[in-house]
Amino acid sequence: MRNIYLAGTAAMLLAATVAAAAVAGYTSDPQQSRLEFVGVQAGAEFKGVFHKFTANVDFAPDTLASSRIDVQIDMNSVDSMDKDRDATIRGKDVFDVAHNPTAHYVTKSISKTAAGFSAVGALTLHGVTKDVPIEFQFVPGAAGAKLSGSAKLNRLDFGVGQGDWKSTDTVGDAVKINFSLVLKPKG
Amino acid sequence: MPNQSPPKRYSAVAQGFHWLIAALIVVQFTLAWSADDLPLGARKLALLARHKSFGMTILMLAVLRLLWRLFNRPPELPAGMTGIERRLARATHVLFYVLLFVMPLTGWMMSSAKNYSVSWFDQFTWPNLIAPNEQAFNFLRTTHDTLSWLLFAVALLHILAALKHHFWNKDDVLKRMLPFTKSEKQS
Repeated sequence: MRNIYLAGTAAMLLAATVAAAAVAGYTSDPQQSRLEFVGVQAGAEFKGVFHKFTANVDFAPDTLASSRIDVQIDMNSVDSMDKDRDATIRGKDVFDVAHNPTAHYVTKSISKTAAGFSAVGALTLHGVTKDVPIEFQFVPGAAGAKLSGSAKLNRLDFGVGQGDWKSTDTVGDAVKINFSLVLKPKG
Repeated sequence: MPNQSPPKRYSAVAQGFHWLIAALIVVQFTLAWSADDLPLGARKLALLARHKSFGMTILMLAVLRLLWRLFNRPPELPAGMTGIERRLARATHVLFYVLLFVMPLTGWMMSSAKNYSVSWFDQFTWPNLIAPNEQAFNFLRTTHDTLSWLLFAVALLHILAALKHHFWNKDDVLKRMLPFTKSEKQS
């Protein structure tokens, strides 16, 4: 009886270990990964990117409960292909990078969808933390995986846009996020 | 058959194009000069957005006007004008047509170079003509600015010439472009 109990415990531990091992750990390749945002100014969309960010991903399509996506973004690395606008975006009325140099996104739950996966995660941006859902696809490859998808958020939910930029007449509230992460196994 | 002999007056269509575009050009200078004095902010973006929308309107009107002009003869210049006056009048009008295209096009390219796509009164967005590029923007901005002064000078010459014809030569050069007037029969 005691042996059976021990064997059972051992089996459970083993199963837990196997399950944990099934979630592969990855980090994003900074050269090939891309994090883009699409805002609206004066009725026209404009695109910008963050050059510096790191994604740590633990993911396996069949063990979503223990899968996780964690992204750190260097807000100073914003590039909207116009120096004047970038200076304004980094300034105190928009990202205020002096006080909030990084943004952080970490998933709380991931689920399967018809097209791929969806997740809800906590985004900390401009010192404000709020849930933001994302939709993504995960494609395993020979040497890692590719994780790409999109999200939508309202910049004013995070206080991004103070003073002159609080109004949505010229700069829209809604911002689209597109990401394409090339993941390399951790090791 | 149409256009057997040149008309005595500008037609209603020609007058419409002339005065509508003239009014829009006045609006354009007003918006551009107001925006120039402002720092990068919501107000500046709003003024420039209107400047771009009106600019694209002028470009569309210029296309229609040029097409219309190619198939419709304008009234002839007064008989008493000297050769140099005629050449100057022609050159002014050709330059106006060139600037009606070049001003909006350099403006549109400027916006593309700075990654501020051009919206038409928030209704739709025009495609970018060139990729974002700071050097190209600086060059185009200088070109757009310089040509605006050329346009200003040509417009001034045009207005002074029209007034000279009206008050000095006492011919109907001004009147035939004015709605609600009658031109005396020319001899």
